[in-house]
Amino acid sequence: MKTFHIRFYENRKIYFAISLGLMAIGLIFNIIFGTQLDIQFTGGALIKYSYTGTIDQEKVQDIVQSTTNKPVTVNINEDVKSANDGKAINNVSISFSGTESLTVERQQAVAAALAKEYPNAKFAVVESSSVNPVMGRDFFFKCLLSVLVAALLLIVYIAFRFKKIGGASAGAMAIIALLHDVTMVYFTFVIFRMPINDNFIAVVLTILGYSLNDTIIIYDRIRENRKLMGPKADYGTLVDTSINQTLTRSLYTAACTFAAIAVVYIVSVMYNLDSVQTFALPMMVGIITGCYSSICIAGPLYVMWQKHKQQKKQQAAASSR
Amino acid sequence: MAIQGFSIDFLRVSSYNKLCYVRGCGSTRNAAAETLMLLEDICMKRVGKPVFFVVALLILLFTYTAIFGVYAQNGDNRTTYVKGAGDIRWGIDIRGGVEATFTPDTGKGATEEQLNAAKSTIELRLVNNNITDYEIYTDDHNDRIIVRFPWKSGEQNFDPEAAIQELSATALLTFREGAEYTTTETGSDGQPVYKTPKGTTKDTIILQGDDVVSAQPQVYQNPDSGKTEYLVALEFSKEGSAKFAEATERLVGQTISVWMDDVMISDPNVKEAITDGKCTIEGNFTAAEASSLAAKISAGALPFKLTTTNFQTISPSLGSSSLDAMRWAGVIAFTLVCLFMLFMFRLPGLIAVIALMGQVALSFAAVSGYFPFLNSFTMTLPGIAGIILSIGMGVDANIITATRIKEELWAGKTLDGAIQKGNANSFWAIFDGNITVIIVAAILMLVFGPTNLFSALFGSSTTGAIYSFGYTLLIGTIGNFIMGVTATRLMTKSISGFRFARSKWLYGGADK
Repeated sequence: MKTFHIRFYENRKIYFAISLGLMAIGLIFNIIFGTQLDIQFTGGALIKYSYTGTIDQEKVQDIVQSTTNKPVTVNINEDVKSANDGKAINNVSISFSGTESLTVERQQAVAAALAKEYPNAKFAVVESSSVNPVMGRDFFFKCLLSVLVAALLLIVYIAFRFKKIGGASAGAMAIIALLHDVTMVYFTFVIFRMPINDNFIAVVLTILGYSLNDTIIIYDRIRENRKLMGPKADYGTLVDTSINQTLTRSLYTAACTFAAIAVVYIVSVMYNLDSVQTFALPMMVGIITGCYSSICIAGPLYVMWQKHKQQKKQQAAASSR
Repeated sequence: MAIQGFSIDFLRVSSYNKLCYVRGCGSTRNAAAETLMLLEDICMKRVGKPVFFVVALLILLFTYTAIFGVYAQNGDNRTTYVKGAGDIRWGIDIRGGVEATFTPDTGKGATEEQLNAAKSTIELRLVNNNITDYEIYTDDHNDRIIVRFPWKSGEQNFDPEAAIQELSATALLTFREGAEYTTTETGSDGQPVYKTPKGTTKDTIILQGDDVVSAQPQVYQNPDSGKTEYLVALEFSKEGSAKFAEATERLVGQTISVWMDDVMISDPNVKEAITDGKCTIEGNFTAAEASSLAAKISAGALPFKLTTTNFQTISPSLGSSSLDAMRWAGVIAFTLVCLFMLFMFRLPGLIAVIALMGQVALSFAAVSGYFPFLNSFTMTLPGIAGIILSIGMGVDANIITATRIKEELWAGKTLDGAIQKGNANSFWAIFDGNITVIIVAAILMLVFGPTNLFSALFGSSTTGAIYSFGYTLLIGTIGNFIMGVTATRLMTKSISGFRFARSKWLYGGADK
């Protein structure tokens, strides 16, 4: 049987460098583009109409701006495929700047003004949302709080389950791996210029669970191997053996999960399903980093911690003698 | 810990499995969990040959019924015995619909009464428009009324802005002479709805909303029959009292109907002239009917505008297109994962495919209302994504177990020994891994649910689309314990008893 013999602990600096490098790239993007929050969180308004024929982007912008007295951005998306009848439709989305919500009357006025200018375009609302800034902010804090509570519960659970191999250190290393994954998912949103929305929270929480699942499988093997190899075994060898033994499983599971969500992503791109895209893409990234962080970050870090502890103990023993 | 002692002793006597014995004694795990696992090992020890076919057939049958349901067609009547995937109730992101948040425009904070009055007005309007399946919540902390409703199926002409305006319009309450109406429709609660006054009723308005000071449900003991009766007590303003006195004197024995907007909500007879501005409406009400009528009249008596603070609309065509797309994604993802498992794991791969099918069927069953004890669940796009994601994550249990068995085979174990040890060694890893996902899924449901963990902090909200993602993730993981762990193990043990399935190659062992 094919077994891996990758020396993860020895190569740890390479992995740390890769992660830090990616984070640096993400940070640069973040500084340049900033972080976009969805109107779900900030408040604001967005309307998407379907229409037939051709319309002029600038003209639409002028009409809407003069009707609402608000600066707007107009995006035209032609020939959007529809999955049920295969007919392509044209969409125009209008996003209003500022965080104020739009009243129903204003929205009707926009539709009326557009219909007046283009009587044959048959504008119909595909989707629209208008969010009050106070409610958006509440929702945002609720989401952040949920991530905190989930992270806390997971750490308590892992510390409890892995008491025997140093629950605190195992938990702490798992947290670093989790922070790593959350950061990567966050940078995915930044780099692809997707506004942070409730999908972000769903992805982050799922990846927390998924990545921890990966880490647990490895810790479980470490726990088992500790018994097999005895207390004298070197931490580096112990952890490397455990990671290599579980590597097939980690890669296979990641492959299956990745394939499933990648199909969702491809389909959502084909049919222009925004809400699904902003869910699937970061989830794909999260699955890869979740697998990577458990293997290449959490394991080696755990060894470093344990070795540090051993050294301290030896020093203490030496000085007391 | 009598049970644990018993199981260890039992094992020691039978000593079928040294591993268990050693682990039992030298274990560092807590005793209760250990017991659970030992018991599982005992149960799993011997599995008869037919078990594979029984389990596989049960899963196939379950999958079939969970997808297609069980119906009886009797003429035009269709009786549903078991709900299939076609009965799944879709959320507004798939069916299209409206979600809106209203705040009473009273200048200062609204009272609970005002909120409830406004809520009952909105409900009345929804029911009268034959909109079923709506959700409505009031949030006392923040003075909000949150409504969410899907489009009527089959409706072609949807005007979301008009729908929101109609719901939030100021309630117009009138008391009119007679009870003549133009049309009768059936509301979504099955009661007839009398609409549009005509004739005298249309022309003669006796009182309007601002003439009413209060409307309250009351309980009273009928002195003649001794029964408890419910009624609605009305009090009018000075001006209202005068108008009402004039009308009731003229109309003794006739009807004065009460209208909300365009709909008649009550048509009581005038028993006697009412001159003091206080009267009651009686009519064999139940307690609920009396409070509902009182709330409707109050809503008209406290006429305030509802401001729409938030709203979101989705057209049905966008939604149905999304559903078709996601359906394809599900089928393709399932096929890919199945092919991968068959190719990589051979016989355990085949078993994984059967188990995975059962797990997906379980997800469908849990949302469609297949089980009588589980209500049907509103599914959204993230919910479907959750099912697809759990297809990928669900095979994890099979992968862990199958690789463990493979390892043992390569280490020189016999087939039975390898399966035994592979199953035992992988259990806790799968257990711990699944618990973390369950924690996450529970948090998602608690946070995005209608009444949620942080309701006290942020007030209630409508169920977000993410709520059903949490639910499908949770069901997927629980299904994983049932299918990916229990059913898989039963099938593996059972099939390994057949001669044709004795080849180690089938389990990933060395070619021989």
